[in-house]
Amino acid sequence: MKTIEAMKVLAAHRCDAVVVCALGTAANEWWRVTRSEDSFYMHGAMGFAASFALGLAVTVPDTPVWVLNSDGSLSMNLGCLLTEAGQRPKNLKHFVIDNQCYQTVSNMPMVNQNGADYTAIARGAGISRTLSIDNASELDGKMPEINAAPGPYFIRLRVDAEPEYQRPPPFSYEGPEMKYRFGRAMEKKLGINVFGPTGF
Amino acid sequence: MLQTLDVNDQIHAQLAKAGVRLAATLPDDWLNGLIRRVARDDAMRHVPVGREAEAIAICAGAFFGGVRSAAIIGNTGLLTCTGEMATLCMRHAIPVFCIVSERGSVDDHMVYQEVQGRRTIPLLQAYDFPYRVIASADEIETIPDAYEWHRLQKRPFVLFLSKKLLGLKRS
Repeated sequence: MKTIEAMKVLAAHRCDAVVVCALGTAANEWWRVTRSEDSFYMHGAMGFAASFALGLAVTVPDTPVWVLNSDGSLSMNLGCLLTEAGQRPKNLKHFVIDNQCYQTVSNMPMVNQNGADYTAIARGAGISRTLSIDNASELDGKMPEINAAPGPYFIRLRVDAEPEYQRPPPFSYEGPEMKYRFGRAMEKKLGINVFGPTGF
Repeated sequence: MLQTLDVNDQIHAQLAKAGVRLAATLPDDWLNGLIRRVARDDAMRHVPVGREAEAIAICAGAFFGGVRSAAIIGNTGLLTCTGEMATLCMRHAIPVFCIVSERGSVDDHMVYQEVQGRRTIPLLQAYDFPYRVIASADEIETIPDAYEWHRLQKRPFVLFLSKKLLGLKRS
């Protein structure tokens, strides 16, 4: 399936989930589909969107939290699966957009391209609920069960690489503005205080 | 064998006073007493990690859940995650409070801590990450002020704990 097809299906089933996106394809395509400001788009710290999402998930246990990770980012921080399994956050769903390449850096091949089983790695780390999905209709059919099941839940989404992918990120804001837009969105959505009374 | 006094209870109490409700930790020879103390506190979510940069990102995520947090990591581990501190926390102006062992100090004669002692502070200065050294027990009560100050600084902050403070000695 195309990445944007997967993103459209996820967006249709999102409900109240707060979304954290790994930098690159996952972040860019989620923004293109949703334009959502109650999502955090990593622009650095490759590999650590999953850790960021875990930190968020354990602090808002009644809110569904999704991380839209990527194969390249997961490979940079496989240990996140151990930490995730250890914390057992019931509200966290971990999607991996697997295109078998580093798409935003000229489609260079993934390490051990086509040779790794990410769901097996997740299970080996201690995450018992895992799933691998190859097409949009199957994803659409599975999403109600994915949403209803307790986390942590690891879902690998096999997508096609895009040979003509546009490398510049499509966002209209970045840096500290990302912090304030997302933080204010969390305050409004969840009724919490991210910032203090004088704004920091 | 290392021995510690009750200083970890005091540090933990000041963290609680500062409002810290989550601690992401990775074991460190000097900090294990504090980590064990944190782990016993049901009011403080303990998140053991496998790599120090995970702790940085977990604390950054907790920030957006409205929860005050601290990363408790060793000095060598701090050196491994300055990239994430820069490209996540500095880039997005996210404060993260790090508690770090002051390894390589003049009273630390472990040969493999020598580089950390010489180059950690210059590295933090290069990034413009603020830091403070807690060298004696009477400074522990400044932790809540340091916590508020780091929020205002909107970037990673490192609170070093000295060997003398931790009461470490060889027996």
